[in-house]
Amino acid sequence: MQAIFKREFLSYFRTPVGYVAMAIFTFISGFIFYSQFATGYVSMSVEIIMLRSLFIIIVPIITMGMFAEDRKRGTEILYYTNPIELFSVVTGKFLAAMALYLVMFINVFIHMIVVAACGGTVDAGVIGSVLVFFFMAALFISIGLLASVLTDSQIISAIVSFLFILVIQLLTVIGNYCGTAVSTIMSYMDIASDTRNAVRNAIAGAISWFDPFAKTELFSNGLFSVSALVFCLSFALFFLYLSFRILEKKRWSQK
Amino acid sequence: MIEIKNLVKHYGDKKAVNDISFTVKDNEILGFLGPNGAGKTTTMNIITGYLSSTSGTVKINGHDILEEPALAKKDIGYLPEQPPLYLDMTVEEYLKFMCDLKQVPKKEHKKHIEMITDMVGISAVTGRLIGNLSKGFKQRVGLAQALVGDPPILILDEPTVGLDPNQIIGIRKLIKNLSKNHSIIVSSHILSEIQEIADRVVIINHGKVAAVDTIMDLSQRLSGTAKVLMSFSGPAKDVSARLKMIPGIADVYVRNAGNPGEVEITLAPRAGSDVRANVFFMMAKSGWPILEFRSLNPSLEEVFLSITAG
Repeated sequence: MQAIFKREFLSYFRTPVGYVAMAIFTFISGFIFYSQFATGYVSMSVEIIMLRSLFIIIVPIITMGMFAEDRKRGTEILYYTNPIELFSVVTGKFLAAMALYLVMFINVFIHMIVVAACGGTVDAGVIGSVLVFFFMAALFISIGLLASVLTDSQIISAIVSFLFILVIQLLTVIGNYCGTAVSTIMSYMDIASDTRNAVRNAIAGAISWFDPFAKTELFSNGLFSVSALVFCLSFALFFLYLSFRILEKKRWSQK
Repeated sequence: MIEIKNLVKHYGDKKAVNDISFTVKDNEILGFLGPNGAGKTTTMNIITGYLSSTSGTVKINGHDILEEPALAKKDIGYLPEQPPLYLDMTVEEYLKFMCDLKQVPKKEHKKHIEMITDMVGISAVTGRLIGNLSKGFKQRVGLAQALVGDPPILILDEPTVGLDPNQIIGIRKLIKNLSKNHSIIVSSHILSEIQEIADRVVIINHGKVAAVDTIMDLSQRLSGTAKVLMSFSGPAKDVSARLKMIPGIADVYVRNAGNPGEVEITLAPRAGSDVRANVFFMMAKSGWPILEFRSLNPSLEEVFLSITAG
């Protein structure tokens, strides 16, 4: 795993991928920090929460080539024909992307130091926001990795992970919309409004249960919830395991 | 040692590999031949663990590739048809990465890489990006990665593709040298190359083993009894008529040798007959001097075409 991690992490800096991701992250975080700094009040939690919206751009960029590129250049064969576990390949690649996020995040740590040096506060809410940021990064990177396993094309891989992350970011909205739509259909069937509202709320609640943003929104207030972190982590592990199984299955393919 | 038993691989309804069995002994070079689409690459991919078989077993030094994959794969060095190279790495970085994958101890990396790069002739380019190397150098880097970890079994799919004649000779010598302490499977479309280096050949056709033997035995088996080429000085018609009277000669083909006064003929003996001595004495008694006299065994190319035709 260590060998795969090292190769993948360094490969971000051998190609423009790592630099492009870092440039986007640094520019946006710098802009948010500067905008707040100019008003005389800086909330690091706000900056970190706003940076989460970049997952939809950065994750597809850094994950699209993870396995798709290997298949294109024929290096995928090395993972199957050498004495290494396939799951350690998946884990190594995943951790390399996480490490890149950590490197990108150095910029935010510097902002925190500046804020603390200027007499501002870096409190539990900020720590909670950082924690959520990395757990979400793990979740989204595992989704990007899965997309890269599913297709030979980097472009398709990027589009799939972009759409997947977009859907997750809009889960609560989608839940409400679906609930309302079902409720409207039921109204044409002359179903009582109490029942309709109950169904609407149940559908909206069921879909938004999967929304990691809703689950972790109190972290920035310093209110931590282990279940929310377990939620992100378990889904990340699920997607990594799914990726592993798909790679394993390819060896047994009879097509 | 590689033991392959009743290997079958289905792709949908098609049997890409159909009940293949053969063994590669220690310190042996086995030429692996077959027309395009015969199932060579699929078989090699199964042997190395890249693909799994539908049924059958592959044992590498006694370790089943599916049941003990780590132990089996540690003993294999594989150069696929398309060398698995990271173009964004230097040769040295890549070989270090391969050392990690093959679990070569860290402190031995430098010495091991120096030895391999010297062996395949890429010492001068170790600091260069693989993406900037010529096709020949890339092929040799691919060969170098197969040698990392000094695996006792090497599986080389078209190892000399893209090399110039000098490099081809160098790689052939290297493969010959490696066979002193390695079992090697070499697949190539250059039959003269296989003829030169392989101890035995396996020819597969339509996913089945069509022949397994030494090249010499295959040639003899194919020809029945070897034909004899003879050139002499004398009247072609008379000689031909006298030769046909010798017991054991099935047919005589006369052709002009090109040199004035010299005639070339091919004798086809009946199965199991050795007519050379009788021919020699008949020619000597008649006063027709023999200028050339040799057995004609079919080349590997002829054997291959004969076995894979249709």
